[in-house]
Amino acid sequence: MAIEDDVLVIGGGLAGIAAAVGAHEQGARVRLVSHKQSTMRQASGLIDLLGYTPDGDGPVVDPFEAIAELPEGHPYERAGLDAVRAGIDMFDDATGEMYAGSHTDKNALVPTHGGAIKPTARYPDSAAPGIASANGDTLFVGFDSMIEFDAPVAADHLAATGVPYETDGVTIEFPGNLRDDAKVTRFAHLLDRDDEVAVDGTTMPVRTALAERVKEHADGHERIGFPAVLGDDHATEVRAELADRLGASVFEVPMGPPSLPGLRLEDRLYEYLHEIGVRVSTGNPIVDVEQVNGEIDRVVGDHTGREVPYKAQQYILATGGLVGKGIDSDREGVYEPVFNCHVPHPADRYDWFEDGAFDDHEFARFGVPVDTELRPIDADDAPEYENLRAAGSVLGGYDFPSEKSGSGVSLATGYAAGELAGDRV
Amino acid sequence: MESSTGVLVIGGGSTGTGIARDLAMRGVDVTLVEKGNLTHGTTGRMHGLLHSGGRYAVSDQESAKECIIENRILRDIASHCVEMTGGLFVQRPQDSDEYFQKKLEGCRECDIPAEVLSPEEAREVEPYLATDIERAIKVPDGAIDPFRLCVANAVSTENHGGRIETHAPVTDVLLEDGEVVGVEVTHESGPGKRVHGNEGQTEKIYADHVVNAAGAWTGRIGDMAGVDIEVRPSKGVMTVMNARQVDTVINRCKPKGDADIIVPHETAAILGTTDEEVEDPEDYAEEQWEVDLMIEELKELVPILDESRTLRSFWGVRPLYEPPDTGTEDATDITRQFFLLDHDDRDDLPGMTTIVGGKFTTYRMMAEQLSDHVCERLGIDAECRTAEVPLPGSENTGVLDDAMDQFGLRSPIARRSKQRLGSRTEEVLDVDGPNPVVCQCEGVTRAELVDAIDQSGTDLNAVRLRTRASMGNCQGGFCSRAMADLLHPEYEEAIAREAYDELFQERWKGERHALWGEQLSQAMLNYALHATTLNADSDPARLGQDVDFAAFDGGESASAERTGTGADAVATDGGHDGD
Amino acid sequence: MSDSQQPSDFEPVDVFAETDGMDLRPGSDDCYKCSTCDTNCPVAEVDDDFPGPKFQGPEQWRLKRKDDYDIDDSITDCSNCLRCDTSCPSEVPLSQMHNTARSQYVDNQMSKLSVEYIRNRILSNYRTSAYLASLFPRTATFVMNFGPVRWVMEKGLGIPSERDFPEFATTTFRQWWKQRGGAQVQNPDKRVAYFHGCYSNYNTPEVAKALVHVYEELGYEIMVPEQKCSGTPMFANGMLSDARRHAETNVESLTAAIEDGADIIASCTSCSLALRQEYPELFDIDGIEDVSNHTYDALEYLRIYEDLEAELEGAKVDFPDLAYHAPCHSRNQGLDGQALELIENIDGVMAEDVGDSCSGISGTYGWKTEHYEVSMEIGEEMFEHMEHAEGDVGMTECPTCAMQMEHGTGYEIKHPLEVLEAALVSEE
Repeated sequence: MAIEDDVLVIGGGLAGIAAAVGAHEQGARVRLVSHKQSTMRQASGLIDLLGYTPDGDGPVVDPFEAIAELPEGHPYERAGLDAVRAGIDMFDDATGEMYAGSHTDKNALVPTHGGAIKPTARYPDSAAPGIASANGDTLFVGFDSMIEFDAPVAADHLAATGVPYETDGVTIEFPGNLRDDAKVTRFAHLLDRDDEVAVDGTTMPVRTALAERVKEHADGHERIGFPAVLGDDHATEVRAELADRLGASVFEVPMGPPSLPGLRLEDRLYEYLHEIGVRVSTGNPIVDVEQVNGEIDRVVGDHTGREVPYKAQQYILATGGLVGKGIDSDREGVYEPVFNCHVPHPADRYDWFEDGAFDDHEFARFGVPVDTELRPIDADDAPEYENLRAAGSVLGGYDFPSEKSGSGVSLATGYAAGELAGDRV
Repeated sequence: MESSTGVLVIGGGSTGTGIARDLAMRGVDVTLVEKGNLTHGTTGRMHGLLHSGGRYAVSDQESAKECIIENRILRDIASHCVEMTGGLFVQRPQDSDEYFQKKLEGCRECDIPAEVLSPEEAREVEPYLATDIERAIKVPDGAIDPFRLCVANAVSTENHGGRIETHAPVTDVLLEDGEVVGVEVTHESGPGKRVHGNEGQTEKIYADHVVNAAGAWTGRIGDMAGVDIEVRPSKGVMTVMNARQVDTVINRCKPKGDADIIVPHETAAILGTTDEEVEDPEDYAEEQWEVDLMIEELKELVPILDESRTLRSFWGVRPLYEPPDTGTEDATDITRQFFLLDHDDRDDLPGMTTIVGGKFTTYRMMAEQLSDHVCERLGIDAECRTAEVPLPGSENTGVLDDAMDQFGLRSPIARRSKQRLGSRTEEVLDVDGPNPVVCQCEGVTRAELVDAIDQSGTDLNAVRLRTRASMGNCQGGFCSRAMADLLHPEYEEAIAREAYDELFQERWKGERHALWGEQLSQAMLNYALHATTLNADSDPARLGQDVDFAAFDGGESASAERTGTGADAVATDGGHDGD
Repeated sequence: MSDSQQPSDFEPVDVFAETDGMDLRPGSDDCYKCSTCDTNCPVAEVDDDFPGPKFQGPEQWRLKRKDDYDIDDSITDCSNCLRCDTSCPSEVPLSQMHNTARSQYVDNQMSKLSVEYIRNRILSNYRTSAYLASLFPRTATFVMNFGPVRWVMEKGLGIPSERDFPEFATTTFRQWWKQRGGAQVQNPDKRVAYFHGCYSNYNTPEVAKALVHVYEELGYEIMVPEQKCSGTPMFANGMLSDARRHAETNVESLTAAIEDGADIIASCTSCSLALRQEYPELFDIDGIEDVSNHTYDALEYLRIYEDLEAELEGAKVDFPDLAYHAPCHSRNQGLDGQALELIENIDGVMAEDVGDSCSGISGTYGWKTEHYEVSMEIGEEMFEHMEHAEGDVGMTECPTCAMQMEHGTGYEIKHPLEVLEAALVSEE
């Protein structure tokens, strides 16, 4: 017996989730299988659509306009502009109040934890008060032992980008004598629970203690930004209390990895899958494929060494790129390990990269090519399998770090692939 | 600007810093100039083998004897730079018994302790050795950190009143009346510690004697002085593995050949090497086949290398020299002996001596002989003390092991810090307030980095060489920005940013040669972190770009208010330019 | 499929003679520092004395040289929940690294005369204590929870007095099995060997009986081979030589069962995980791969080999609503959704997931005074979610999670097999 569903989505990142929702909305019974945790936890939690064009023009003000101009073969072009709208709408529905930016087509400029600005289409509500494209004198607060965010450096860097407001940075000791290598989840957990901490010979709730320490630096600043550790399950409450005590709006500067905004987003989206009734199996890599007449009949999952068959009518490959291990390589070549789909790449390994760290690297575009139905195609442009679609970073032909298009492509192609697959069952 | 000194040493490698220390300890006023960082040349591009002499026990017994003597000295005076790993010469089925026997006898003739191990015994020492090896000879090879050694020599030089100038390439050799009287250097960022953004300037440094210890670049210095020094640079590739598959130096027991050695080095293992003559020590091809050859050949000795992660590869250029008219055809046959060229005797040009050739392991002895020579020339009567006096960091290291839990560090971090800092550990790590680990791969704390910054200014590559920060598996992906942040507020944010970009690019340069499998994933993650999360590639501050902030999403409330008279809305003139 | 292109697996156990002498530095090759493991660590979230799995695993290992024997003592703060293993996007053998490091720590740095060592040994050899207790079950249950005895345990051994020792069954599962005359179904084509583990033998035989009833109902012949502790508590306490001794017995008798055509099934997810994953990672025993390859969780096995959806069609039970917690060790095997999906098919019972947090007990971890507070703090999220859930009865596959669930909420705790028994097996 196989574990049987209508649509099987392989991969549990943003693209896989979007695909599962897309298929579900077509009335299909959907299962999502994922191996390990997704790269969402490594990313900042910002949802970039397109910040720079493939030619490097930008920051782009209206990503939708720019997406319409993309060349053939780019995943956005394959999926089509409507899919981009549909994908982002789905995201807005799923995340609700948790994300901002849906009121406009324009990108916002968000300060990064290094202090540069970055164009992005959707940003966590926790980052919203701090966006650099809104005005307001800003104080960054960093913690002495947390090397991921140096507030004075970020403040000076942000000022150097020419923002039309004052920026300042201060480094304080986080109350509670945490060890120097305390994890971000430790900070978040303390703030979530508002635990009592020892401060100057007495104890008080950690939110109060933190606000007290920041207060003396706060005067005159309209907004105060912290590294993204302000709570996990009760993040809104933590920010609200700090804002109240400090008399300024309080925001988080996205960091990563590890990234709490990414973690919260992942939690929210899985909760959403649960709410709508998508079945989820985690911890299982797909290791083998059985095909009949050019179609995938079933795939085999590995349960800690045991082979377990999964069967569906339609399959979606959303296993990620080089980081998520949906695309792998060795000294001889680059391959897609689940279905062995065609991955175009130069035969000579020394043509995979360029000399400068931020040059136009071939490896950044490694991935499977697809037709306009998002089916992976082989070297002769024929679909690899009639009932297989691909979405997200496993796709080739775009350089998401330079374009700042990673999340957008995942949402657009994921949702579109899911709809197409769901429509065919 | 002008200055004068007793002896001017050109070259901040092991030979140059060794000479500077030797002379300074003899009371000579010495200045050392180096075109890049310390160890910029060959010293910084070697596999870090402390020879037992076993490698030369058949082909060149004189070198072999020198090696074992110096090996013993360095264990004493540079204990915090040396790890006595021991070494094995491993015989594979296709390697000849006759050569194995010769190697064993050669070692014994040269007073190198040597012991034959059965395959089982060898695998007990090194479990990842191939199962089909014939046998092995155990010798006292070791690993040595060339950066730490040169820095310690430089610090000792300064402690004895000497002057060290890095990033100060020699732009001319000053001649007066047919005699070398000094050099002109161009300080890239002014004299003293390198600081980005400081203006460069030239300095004429007059000296009683000039020592040319510029390694592969000695010929260039010779050209400036009008003398011909025929250096025959030969390149060799070294591939850095992410982890130590072996803790012993593994040599292939065969006469000569490429890819025949694995050296455990700090947290990594280094595979070496090739030997190919090149025209230009600064411009030569770095090719894929060389890297592949290392793995293909050495997996015969240690099979797990085939599936192991490499971090990067680098090439070094040996400054081989042979006296004019020797005419050796194959670069691998050129002697590894060193030569002391007194240009007065050789070219009728008084005032300069060149030292060229030789091996890293015998740097101290070379420095001693050169210093003896220079002192004789200058009529200075002073004894060499470098064989007895420990280098800074290697004094009283025995005391260190007592308290591993000091300084509030986790024990592996404390241990690694001590292995790097030696007797300086307490002085460096004993700081008030938090001391977080900044480079997690190598276990480097903020205090150690701050100490290195004190020594080397804003040059994060110099900081890296001192601490190993950014040399681990993420190759600076996670720590380079945080390292740069430490420069602030002493240095401006723009300078810190420039230093960070320079370090990140330098890390990329070597990592390019390891881009498959895990390291390609790492490279993509690093690229994503720096380009996507930090927008370091399109950062308007870096590009000097003006941004029209008001054209972008000003937030939900602002967009509502913008139609009215929202106080929060951005000035529509686009920010700072319009003021 | 392109198996040939995949680099071969890293199998240090094939290279090293002794488990606690294994060099796992090459395992750090897979780490690209993303810290996903750290964000999944339930201990690091509440206790900053624990530096997280990344440090304890690939970082600590990579910083080692051959003669560096010292392991940071925070390794004893790891609860061995294995969530780091499940989360790592890059195949770092985190739990293997932790288990091996912990064993080296215990061997080299822990005094064999210390109270912790003695206590840990007693806790990890639960089978021995349970065996003794089973001789006088009623007395044992009383004595173990008797005030003065508990005071001595807390002060003398570091076992928290807040914890109630589990009740010992008056008839163990094995006694019951013998009394009923062993297997009631003979079927050479459908044969399973049941690894019941210590807990369902000594403490909750009703779970083991449910398994027997369900499997026999579906036509399976059940074997109950000789067995010792799976080793889970020993791994967690760095007692690898104890674990190895037990493993040798288990592998021998389970291999024999496999030769008789049986697959191995377990009702405790920690036991199945140990046989599947930890055994081949840590020990090189003849037949151990075979055992690993033939072991299944009891529900998982039915989902693969039976059409349970069809079997359960129309099934109706009278069962209280359930608050379900998926144990970390079931997550680790990719089994976290299966119990709920099954119960969806059964009328008359509703089960609600209480979220993906860790229960916090992690076997023997929560049984140590120094970890009790942390253990309860980790569990708090689960307790809260249980309170919020509709059902007032808990359900889980893991006996120690069940203990913690009961301890934190006072709920009675069921095993999914008991629900399946109610749905499939007609009362006699």
